[in-house]
Amino acid sequence: MPTDLPYAADAEVSLSYDELEVLRLQYMREEGAGHVTTQTKFNYAWGLVKSPQRDHQVHGVRLLQDIYRAEPARRRECLYYLALGHYKMGNYEDAKKFNGLLVDKEPGNLQAQSLGTLIDNSMAREGYIGMALAGSAAAIGTILIAGLIRRAVRKPE
Amino acid sequence: MAGSEAPPNLKLLLIGNSSVGKSSLLMRFTDAQFLPEDESSATIGVDFRVCKLEVGGRRVKLSIWDTAGQERFRTITSSYYRGAQGIIVAYDISNRETFDALPRWFTELETYVSPSVVKMLVGNKLDKEFSRAVTEDEGRKFAERTGCLFVEASAKTNIGVREAFMELVEKILDTPALWAPAAPRVTSTTTAKPQAMPGSIDLSATPADQDQSQGCGC
Repeated sequence: MPTDLPYAADAEVSLSYDELEVLRLQYMREEGAGHVTTQTKFNYAWGLVKSPQRDHQVHGVRLLQDIYRAEPARRRECLYYLALGHYKMGNYEDAKKFNGLLVDKEPGNLQAQSLGTLIDNSMAREGYIGMALAGSAAAIGTILIAGLIRRAVRKPE
Repeated sequence: MAGSEAPPNLKLLLIGNSSVGKSSLLMRFTDAQFLPEDESSATIGVDFRVCKLEVGGRRVKLSIWDTAGQERFRTITSSYYRGAQGIIVAYDISNRETFDALPRWFTELETYVSPSVVKMLVGNKLDKEFSRAVTEDEGRKFAERTGCLFVEASAKTNIGVREAFMELVEKILDTPALWAPAAPRVTSTTTAKPQAMPGSIDLSATPADQDQSQGCGC
């Protein structure tokens, strides 16, 4: 049976404004009361990381890093969503690092594998663009230098 | 409805306790594979696959959402119920606890999906007949009471898996109200309902809110 495999569903699908707002309000309420539960924090961070807005993603990643440090029991989920958050922000190196930690722990994890593929593809694409830029820069440089040399050579005549 | 309309995109959702084999059922169905226990891992948040299927001469595109069964994801996975036309509720026939947890899952369904959504109860791990803890009759009775389709299956030995998905899809196709595009329902926008109870976050959207833009875009 033919299957398409855009596995890392969380990479593509974001919450509606209202849904994220529910998570945010819960977080704010608990913060106002002086104690935020890990679950509430995680839920909000999860919603933020899924958002297409960069400032949301940055905020989400920051919250996840807090949870990662404070709650060893939650590290597995945090690693995945940290990788996802960094991937969405375009920080492929960091995304690869966090996803790699998860893959080390769970080599058979299909979600981590598919997210790894997404990251690698994006890195490759960026690499090509980088190479193209470097290539064209080199070409322009060559032309400039050639021009300078020609001028320098011509001058004494 | 016209006979030859565009194949509907259907959204199916797999729910049930942790480690009853939701992901295994999905893998068996879409990839004809089974991962041994030591290689499989608990789903993080949500995973999904898209696959094409022909049922009764009609081509359908399924996006199947596989949710984490772990308690810690309960409050957030509710947002994935939105727009689902079919739900598979799975339990493990060799683990009584997973069967006893079914009422909780059905309460959640009542909250998040419209009653017309097709539901199927799947008793997985039929290969563990020797340590069965839930009789087939109990499963069937529960399904009858809750208005579900019912099947016992084994993702490991590939029994009943394809049948389960096929039957579910057939039933959905027999219920055009679930997928026919021109059903001008009251599209009241989602209203956030802040709740006081910690841990019980209502991410509800209107049940019949069909978000066709989501899922498979390919």
